[in-house]
Amino acid sequence: MRNSWKVAKWEIRRNLKSKSFLISLFLTPIIFAIFATVPTLLSDSGEDQDSEPAQTTVYLNDEIGVWDQLEPMLSEGGDLHWDVELTDESSDEMATTLEDETRSVYIHLDESALQSGTVDYYTSEEVPESFQYEVQLFEQPLRYIQLERTGLDESEIQTAMNPITFNQNEVTMEAGTDAGEAQSQGIEYFLQKFVPGVFAGLVLFSIAITGMMVFQSASEEKKEKVAEIILSSVTAGELMQGKIIGYFVLGILQVTVWIGMAAPVALALVDYPIIEYLLVPELLLFLLIAILGYLMFASIFVGLGATLEDSSSGSNFQGFVFMIPWLPFIFIGPVLTNPEGMLSQVLSYIPFTSPGIMILRLSILDEWPWVQIFISLAILIVSIWLLMKLAGKIFRIGILIYGKNATLPEIWKWLRS
Amino acid sequence: MNEILSVKGLGKSFKNTRVVKNIDFDVHKGEIMAVLGPNGAGKSTTIRSIMGILLPDEGTVTFHNHAQGEVPRHKIGYLPEERGLYKKVKVMDILLYFAELKDYPLDKAKERALAYLKKFDLEGKENVSVDELSKGMGQKVQFIGSIIHEPELLILDEPFSGLDPVSQEVFKQEIKDLAKKGTAILLSSHQMNLVEEMCDRLFLIHRGQKVIYGSMDEVKAQYANFKCTIHGNNDRSLLEKINQVERIEQQDDISILYLSSDVQVNDWIKQLPSTLDIQELSVDRISLHEIFVDIATDSSLAQEAGVVDAK
Repeated sequence: MRNSWKVAKWEIRRNLKSKSFLISLFLTPIIFAIFATVPTLLSDSGEDQDSEPAQTTVYLNDEIGVWDQLEPMLSEGGDLHWDVELTDESSDEMATTLEDETRSVYIHLDESALQSGTVDYYTSEEVPESFQYEVQLFEQPLRYIQLERTGLDESEIQTAMNPITFNQNEVTMEAGTDAGEAQSQGIEYFLQKFVPGVFAGLVLFSIAITGMMVFQSASEEKKEKVAEIILSSVTAGELMQGKIIGYFVLGILQVTVWIGMAAPVALALVDYPIIEYLLVPELLLFLLIAILGYLMFASIFVGLGATLEDSSSGSNFQGFVFMIPWLPFIFIGPVLTNPEGMLSQVLSYIPFTSPGIMILRLSILDEWPWVQIFISLAILIVSIWLLMKLAGKIFRIGILIYGKNATLPEIWKWLRS
Repeated sequence: MNEILSVKGLGKSFKNTRVVKNIDFDVHKGEIMAVLGPNGAGKSTTIRSIMGILLPDEGTVTFHNHAQGEVPRHKIGYLPEERGLYKKVKVMDILLYFAELKDYPLDKAKERALAYLKKFDLEGKENVSVDELSKGMGQKVQFIGSIIHEPELLILDEPFSGLDPVSQEVFKQEIKDLAKKGTAILLSSHQMNLVEEMCDRLFLIHRGQKVIYGSMDEVKAQYANFKCTIHGNNDRSLLEKINQVERIEQQDDISILYLSSDVQVNDWIKQLPSTLDIQELSVDRISLHEIFVDIATDSSLAQEAGVVDAK
């Protein structure tokens, strides 16, 4: 174990001194930030340019007097980019004006509209589609006037005007009526539920990437022919462990740096106590799953690296192995729609997909299926133990074979030896 | 003499092929012991088995002064045949890493590294990245790496391969110096001429088996008989009549007569027939190189002479 630490320390030091690692360490969050913000910024600025001159001119021929009620509300709201001009002209007279202008609307509110319940409006070219929703604004005051005319009093009108809403109340074993309550809490609830899972997902993602670095490191050891010199001081098992531990530390370091860079920004932008949401007992289980996931991928990659001298010339088999960590992504859709479904459960029991899928499921499920969690963890731990053994065998032989990539039959032979 | 390492009955198979079998030898303190043999004879397999990098199927490897079955890695320096260095690290960093792996105190290692870099004409290169070194420089750094921790046993697998003559001399001198200071040295090579001048004892291996084992002097006395090379147009039947000739090789006008081991050169020359056509004549001993080539090509020489065992 002491020797493993020496190897681990060397791998950490070597990477921390290498420019490419440092650049990717600090550049990745910046690139992420750019990708996350630039499209929004671009589209924002696009809207800004449009919205200033993009007032829609609304010619309103108001014979009923609805506008007097609406005007104070409109000037408060401000979401509506309307430029209202009151007019007495009829639709025929306005037709020529609308022909010449763009983004102009003529609305005629008169007695017949009130009685028939149909308001005609005339638009010029380039009136945004959203106008058909904006114009609904007139519905309430018109309806009020309609009802008033029928002779109902104030309270009767209020009753008639109140929409009937349907409230869903899911009844589960324990949650009772919590669901309704929770839903009403909206984004806060959403954050509370997802922050630990998203965090664990980030950890898993990051250490899966460093798992790939384990692969590179093992392959490099082979290519640069240092392995045998190292093996005169430590055993193959210790060398392998050292690499796995070393890159684990690098992975954690990477996550820490990323979060260190992202946290101040996130805290400044978001009003919710994210740290509070993050530091919950559930996080421990999430992190355990993430770490187990790393150990599994790292053992696969370290064994794979020992079979390949030149990563660009790997066979289809090795290419396929490379895809393994990304398998859960294929199933994100189905699992999200049915986190308790058969597929989700089966995927939780397959070691290659279980870390990603478990984190995803536990983030969305209200109630954790503890039995499934335990079975899944047990399968994962046993597979890690098995994979480490197999990787050790492959590593021990593969790392000392120079000048060629191992073929699948060869690897099979090593496994059986 | 002080035995450092004993190998007994070592055997190893890959698939169904016996790569080495019945390998027995010792390495003593302060001596240079050479394992010689053609490519594929089993030299590297033997050495890797000693290092515990391969597990032998049979036989024992004993490091005296240490518990049976334990490979005292910290006391061994090892330069494998296939060797290299991490590319993007500084020379000093990698040397200190090798020392750290051997649990050797780092301040002392640094001192030794600087001294050896100077000795090998690499002064001032300690902070240079490995990928900026020439191949020869890299090999010197690897060599320093294998001795940085003052090993009591130094195992060198083909230390001279790929070296230019100047570096070969430097290495040879250093290996001799280390032996003088008491390091036990086990080296493998197929370059006889280099090894002949420096090793104390040798173990010749062919097709995984011992062919010759003994001290250099014994081997020479045993195998290095005289041979007489005659330039001139001579009939084979005439040469065959000469006494104490064991074997004749003829090519064009050159005849080589291999003389028996008990020959007295002066007397033998006197009794040469006067009808012999002699343009040029030389008498010298068979070199290790010739013994080696004979064995590698399965000529009869060594088999005829039998196997000497001079422990």
